[in-house]
Order: sequence, then structure tokens, then C-alpha cells
Amino acid sequence: MNEEVLSKYGGLTRVINYDVCIGCYTCEEVCKFIHEGMAFIVLYEIGGGLNKPISCFHCVKAPCVTACPTKAMHKDKDGAILVDLSKCIGCSACVAACPFGIPEIVPPGYASKCDLCNPLRKEGLTPGCVSMCPTKAIVWGDTAQVAKELRVRALKKLVYKPV
Amino acid sequence: MKFTFMCKGDGKGGRGRVAVVGGGPAGLAATGYLVCQEYEVDVFDKLPFAGGMMMFAIPPYRVPKESIIEGVEDLEKNYGAKFNYRTKVFCGSEVRHDEGDEYVEKSLDLTKIIQEYEATLLTTGIWLSRKLGVPGDDARNVYSALEYLYSWSVYDLGLSTHKPPVGERVVVVGGGYSAIDAAETALVKGAKEVYLTYRRTIKEAPAGEYEVRRIMSEGVRWVELVQPTKVIVENGRVTGVEFVKMKLGEPDESGRPRPIPIPGSEHVIEANIVLAAVGEVPTPPLDIVCDGIKADPKRRTIIVNNRMQTGVENVFAAGDLITGASMIGKAVGSGLRAAAFIDSFLRSRRVV
Repeated sequence: MNEEVLSKYGGLTRVINYDVCIGCYTCEEVCKFIHEGMAFIVLYEIGGGLNKPISCFHCVKAPCVTACPTKAMHKDKDGAILVDLSKCIGCSACVAACPFGIPEIVPPGYASKCDLCNPLRKEGLTPGCVSMCPTKAIVWGDTAQVAKELRVRALKKLVYKPV
Repeated sequence: MKFTFMCKGDGKGGRGRVAVVGGGPAGLAATGYLVCQEYEVDVFDKLPFAGGMMMFAIPPYRVPKESIIEGVEDLEKNYGAKFNYRTKVFCGSEVRHDEGDEYVEKSLDLTKIIQEYEATLLTTGIWLSRKLGVPGDDARNVYSALEYLYSWSVYDLGLSTHKPPVGERVVVVGGGYSAIDAAETALVKGAKEVYLTYRRTIKEAPAGEYEVRRIMSEGVRWVELVQPTKVIVENGRVTGVEFVKMKLGEPDESGRPRPIPIPGSEHVIEANIVLAAVGEVPTPPLDIVCDGIKADPKRRTIIVNNRMQTGVENVFAAGDLITGASMIGKAVGSGLRAAAFIDSFLRSRRVV
């Protein structure tokens, strides 16, 4: 995708379609496998035995990036919010700023969060959670693609009943 | 599901041959990892297609079949994984019968497969249901939830022309996901009344209160604190289930309150189909022991070390087969870890 569109619309985006998520833990397990035992998309019980995943929203106007005093928290060319470990001082400003409680400070003392599988993206691959979700609950692409996919899903629910 | 999500290469192979016995979520995840690491992988499955429970037990409104088919086709067409369907692998010549065996056309000896491949991964899952354990539980029209869901899956996939029974009044026994899926499927398929019965309360139901309430809103009747005492059979057909009411006592070994029968509270719920959803147990491709590979005699799980290796060094196991009934994602994670251990085992062996 061209740079202009990326800068205008915030690049690629990932949305969890909670309606079709069955809480099966595939995203969390795949993430944990890719990131040597640490998962950055995690399921929590939200009541009644219902488990759903949450991960970084990679906000277009990311409060964590604004709050970061050392510019460790930054946006890459795809629109993913990444932490530059050489700059991070582990101050928790991003933790406090994030409306979703996503960044966490991990030993030895820096912020850690979803990198949208940066090593995979560099190879032209898709984040693991997106690739492996059995129900395609995790939608990924540029903002126009994501909008289209979600609208088609909504339409199917409204008017299309498979026989 | 793109099982080759980590592929940088093109799956040309050349680094050795690996057999995967069982093509469910654990086996497929492992296959994806291994073909990406340039191993040649042969998958063996007793069913006519891969995906295991995701394809043949979990209803399509939960997991869409296309998602599994796409993933299997990607493994097969783009990365050269070979799928040997309708093939049951078992140790020795006495092959045990499990559920979902109807499509098996040939059996292969596990010991031969182990000799033929540099490594073998066992991921045969949990294809045997616990019985209700009450008189009449072997009557016609008493099915396990797995058997019932499997029958509808093969019928809906067009693999069988035999339409499973719909039933007027269906009684499901259990409180887990199998029970929810069996009850919801019975309702979707046209049963007039569906009762979901559980021996503890909605708070303890393993599928969770939300799921129970969701299918109640669709019309399933929830009956809690009851346990079947017998299946009532007349002229070989089920006419109902006798239940005894239960009360909750002190926590048991599972940490949940122990259900205690209330004497004299026996009553009958009429039914012409009974679905037992009281758990599934592992179905290893062996009976207790196969050379150095051992199953836990009680839990039937394959015993592995912390590298997911069985007693035979080039044989590994993963998924529900080593943990007991779990979730798709846990099986996927287990399969991925086993595949990584197989890779490092084969690499280290080459160095030595």
C-alpha cells in the first residue's frame, strides 16, 4: 500500500469480531508460541464463563505514543505501535495512558506489548493470531478492507440465510 | 486457519520425514510448523478429511468448515503435506474400535510407521465417550454427544446419506461444551423439546453460565441438580430417563461442590432420544503400552516428558491426547510446541 494512504488512514488495522469469537484460546496460544512463552493477545473471563481475547488496538492517535517521554513508543510504517527497547526507560507512562490497559512493564524493566508479529510482517506474512483464528474473528488489513469485511459480515447476518 | 503462518520457505522438504498420526488442531498446527521448517510430513487420519473435532464434532455455526478446509488445502497444495485419510494407525494387529471409526478402510501398524519415519507425532485426541453408567444406557436411541454431533457432521458434509434421528423429546445429560453443542444441534435440527440436565447448578456448569443461558434463550430447557439413575426402555426403545434430585455438598477433589443424591426424589423426564455428554477420554493408538510408549492406565493420556517425548525417543505426543479434553487453542499450542521439540530433536541428532 502506498505511503500516502498509510499516513492518512493509519495503516493496517486489526479488529476482533467478538460476535464470531468462540473463546478457544488459539490466538493466545499461537502468540505465546511466536513470542517465546509470552502472549500479547490474552483471553480473560468476563463473567458467566465467557472468555474473550484483548490485545493492542494500535490506535491511529495512540495515547501511549503521545505519553512516552523518550519516544520509545512509536508507530511503524504499517501502523503498528512498537517499543524501541533501547529507548524505553520503563516509566509506565504508556501503561497509564492506554485506555485498554495493554502495555505492561516486564523484567528487567521495559514496556512490552503486541508488535503485530513484526518479524512475520517483515517476511510479508500476517500476524499469527490473524492467520490461525479458526473462526476468522480477527480481521486484518487496511482500514478500507477491514470496513468492507465487517460490512459484508453484517449484511450476511441481516439478509443471507444459508439453506 | 493458515497452519503455515510462520512459513518463510516454500515447503520443499529435504530435512527429513515426519509422520503425524491424527489430523486435528494439534496435528495440523504441528504439520504447519514442520513443513515450514522443510520437513516432509505425512498425516494419517481415520476420518475422510482432516480437522478432527473441528470438522466432525463442533457445529459449523461455532467453527466454519471453510476455515479448516482452506488450511488443509494450503498445507497440501502449497507445502506438500500428504494426507492419508480413512487410515487408522494402531500398535499391533488388534485394533481397538473408537468413535468415528466408520470410514476406516485400512489399518497401519504404529510400530512400522515409527520405523519408517525419522520422527512420529501422536495427536489422536479423545474419540471415546464416557457412558452414563446407569441401567439402560446401552439402549438404542441413547447416543453419546460426540456420536450424535459426528453423525450430523458427516450427514451435513454429504459423506453419509443416513440422516441422524431428530427426536421429539431429547434429553441431554451433561454441562460442558459437548452438552451445549448436542442440545443446540438437536434444537436446530428440529427436536420439539430439548432438556439439558446437569447434576450441579448453572454456576458450576463447565461450559459456563453464559452459554447455558444463551441456549435457554433459544428454547432449550435447563434442568439442574439432577442425575440420571436409569434409562427407561420399553420394547427396546427409550421412553424416558429416571433422574434423582441432587443437593450440593462440600467441595470434592475437583474443587467444585460435590453433588449428593436426595433419596426418594426420583422422577422421570420423558424422552425418545438421550444424549450422554459426560466427557470424552483419550484414544491413543495403542492399548496401555507399545514398546516404550505408555498411556496412563486410568486417564488414558500418553505419558510424555517435558519435551513432549514418549518413552521412544523419536515419538512425541500432543493435544488432548496428553492433556485430556481441552480446547482448540490449547491443542494448537501443544501441537506447535511438540513440532518445535521434534525439530530440535532431529537437528541435534544430525549434529551428533
